[in-house]
Amino acid sequence: MTNFVDYLLGGFSNGAVIALMALAIVLVWRSTRMVNFAQVGQAMFTTYVALTIQQSTGSWILALVVAMAAGLVLGIVVFFLVIRPVKNSDSTGAIIATFGVLIALQAGAGMIWGGDPQGFLTPVDNSGIEFAGRIWPISLYDVLVLVVTAALVIGLTLLFTKTNLGLSMRAAAFNPEVARLSGVRVNRMLITGWAIAGATGAVGGVLIAPVSTISPNSFDILLVFAFTAAVIGGLDSLIGAVTFGIGTGLVISLVSGYSDSGNAPIVALILLALNLLLKPDGVFGHHGARSV
Amino acid sequence: MKTLRSFPGNRIIWHAIIVGVVWLLLLLLNNNIDPLYSSYLALVAMYATAMFGMTILVGLSGQVSLGNGALMAVGGYVFALTSMNWQTVPFFGWEWNAIWSMVFAGLGGVLIGGIIGGLAARLKGPYLAGLTLGVAVGVPAITNRFPELLGGENGLMLTVPYPAGGYAALDAGGEVATDEGGDAAVDIETDAGATGEDQQYAELDLSEFDQGTDPLAEEDLLTEDDLLTEDDLLTEDDLLTEDDLLTEEDFGAGGDLGIDENVVDPTEDPGVDGAGLDGTDIAGGGFIDGFDSEFIIERWQASMAIAVACIVAFAALNLVRGRQGRVWKAVRDDPVAAAVVGISPSGSKVSAFVVSSLFAALAGAVFAQILSFIGPGAFGLGLSLSLLVGIVLGGRASLLGAIIGALLLVWLPELVDGLSGERGWPEQITNNAPNLLYGLLVVAVVLLAPGGITGTFKSWIDKAKGRGRATLS
Repeated sequence: MTNFVDYLLGGFSNGAVIALMALAIVLVWRSTRMVNFAQVGQAMFTTYVALTIQQSTGSWILALVVAMAAGLVLGIVVFFLVIRPVKNSDSTGAIIATFGVLIALQAGAGMIWGGDPQGFLTPVDNSGIEFAGRIWPISLYDVLVLVVTAALVIGLTLLFTKTNLGLSMRAAAFNPEVARLSGVRVNRMLITGWAIAGATGAVGGVLIAPVSTISPNSFDILLVFAFTAAVIGGLDSLIGAVTFGIGTGLVISLVSGYSDSGNAPIVALILLALNLLLKPDGVFGHHGARSV
Repeated sequence: MKTLRSFPGNRIIWHAIIVGVVWLLLLLLNNNIDPLYSSYLALVAMYATAMFGMTILVGLSGQVSLGNGALMAVGGYVFALTSMNWQTVPFFGWEWNAIWSMVFAGLGGVLIGGIIGGLAARLKGPYLAGLTLGVAVGVPAITNRFPELLGGENGLMLTVPYPAGGYAALDAGGEVATDEGGDAAVDIETDAGATGEDQQYAELDLSEFDQGTDPLAEEDLLTEDDLLTEDDLLTEDDLLTEDDLLTEEDFGAGGDLGIDENVVDPTEDPGVDGAGLDGTDIAGGGFIDGFDSEFIIERWQASMAIAVACIVAFAALNLVRGRQGRVWKAVRDDPVAAAVVGISPSGSKVSAFVVSSLFAALAGAVFAQILSFIGPGAFGLGLSLSLLVGIVLGGRASLLGAIIGALLLVWLPELVDGLSGERGWPEQITNNAPNLLYGLLVVAVVLLAPGGITGTFKSWIDKAKGRGRATLS
């Protein structure tokens, strides 16, 4: 039982990062009805930017802020250069284009920063906290990850529920035609969606980098986990992405604890396949979000 | 011509003639170029085999899948396991040879492809891409799950069947095992280089060996032993090449040598050498009767890869240009309308998946033989992405596009390598430049010329003829 609790606790910070990546995928899906397979590649790229900042200035906060800004810009750039021109052509082409962006970003990062895995320093201690006579599987850094994630999720929730911008974005996502007639600048809302998604993914990348190392391909597996979480959550539900992102993290932690961390991708794959077979619209999804 | 085409039987004959002529031309080419180029030819044929499947799956059926690299791994592993473990198992009265292993590789691909395809038929667009992405990323995890059977992260070294007889483990692929996925192209280059060196050794050895035949007749067995142990340090193909030459020139001397080696081997290296010699009768004639009296591994690999590619091309041509091709396109363009005229959309999607899995598995078996190695690194997400890149650049819905894509996948890294050699680029740039180009080209092609290279040419020709604008197909 102690093991179970420990494994569960150890999965939260990983789950938080998966939740952020899943959020980014959901934000893009809500704005343009497509899955951005380059999302995690963008996060990888901005994490390298953050790494460079951290190495030169030593400031973790500055690195995080710069990464967010870079994610914002990269999201807008990808949207303008790739997504907007392709959007009205075939859907197959749109999927392929995002993979093209992924390949280019990974190669570009490899060119600039090299292919060897690099470490990322943590701003706070990353060893288990000692409390009540035992060492818990949660470190101060894990707490920081959870706090940053919670702040971001709360901020996004407030944005979507309490602000005019959020309302316009929801309107543009829900029904672009009607939104346009009501004076919402739909195109601008789509760009905003991509930009916020880019920044959210960037935060996730910076948060996970100290735990895993960073290399151009090291986030591939994160893409699978995030996609799994986003799809199970229903692809257009923010709360679904967060819930199942953390859920996926917990499951992976349990699997890694009881068997071997190498089995995590297989478990994610089984979860994804089962979900697509049994509940293809996702748990929080609206009916019709996915048409066959 | 029109009347000819209206009979399916005649269309099949036409396809057979076209493929047959191309096959012959390719074999002629293969036998008249430098062995280094033969190794490129083998890779192009292997990629083309896999990408004919991508043409059907992505182009005609409209399903973006990243699972084909994993299905190639299935084919490669089945080939490796059957050819290594069943060498001595008689198969319905025949001796086991590489062709049976190929058949089993194909069956393995169909089985796994059928399972994924069954899931895939219910999925659309990004869902399918995401699921198959998971499969591609999961390949190393799955192979690590069965370390004893599949060799875990290090993969399996293949015993490569030779037409001259017997199986031999190549040393050449050793380095590939450690490489991570993502740059399969680089892996291949190192391997091609290594086998090229082997070839040079083989030529050197020949001269030594010829001098050594005389002492043998004088019963100078011990010095011969020493010579042979040196050979063992090289690869087994050297031995086999010599066997070939000797049997053709003076049969008696060759026979003597064979016996001598049999006497020597049990005392020294029974495990390694025994396979090379005792297995003489196992591989039988191999795939193709040697056009060349000199056995050159690159040429043999290329002719094997070409044979598989041509057979697959013939099947693909008949499928794509026949009724099934129209069914796939109909479901891609409008599933509802297709269902109205009695086509099952999910059946069509599953069939496209199964056919492309079969082709991928066969290509994987060929790839494993070319690398003489199978492992998760060379068959991961990178390989799946390269297949997607190739098919998009060449032309999504065209078999010719698959061939052009295969050429690009092999040629572009070489071009970059050559340029980098001239300009003195750092390794970091050289290794990543091909992928950067691929990524940018894929985006550019999707945005500007969705039909890829073949589609663009077709639209130019149509324009010249004054017809309408190009479509995907």
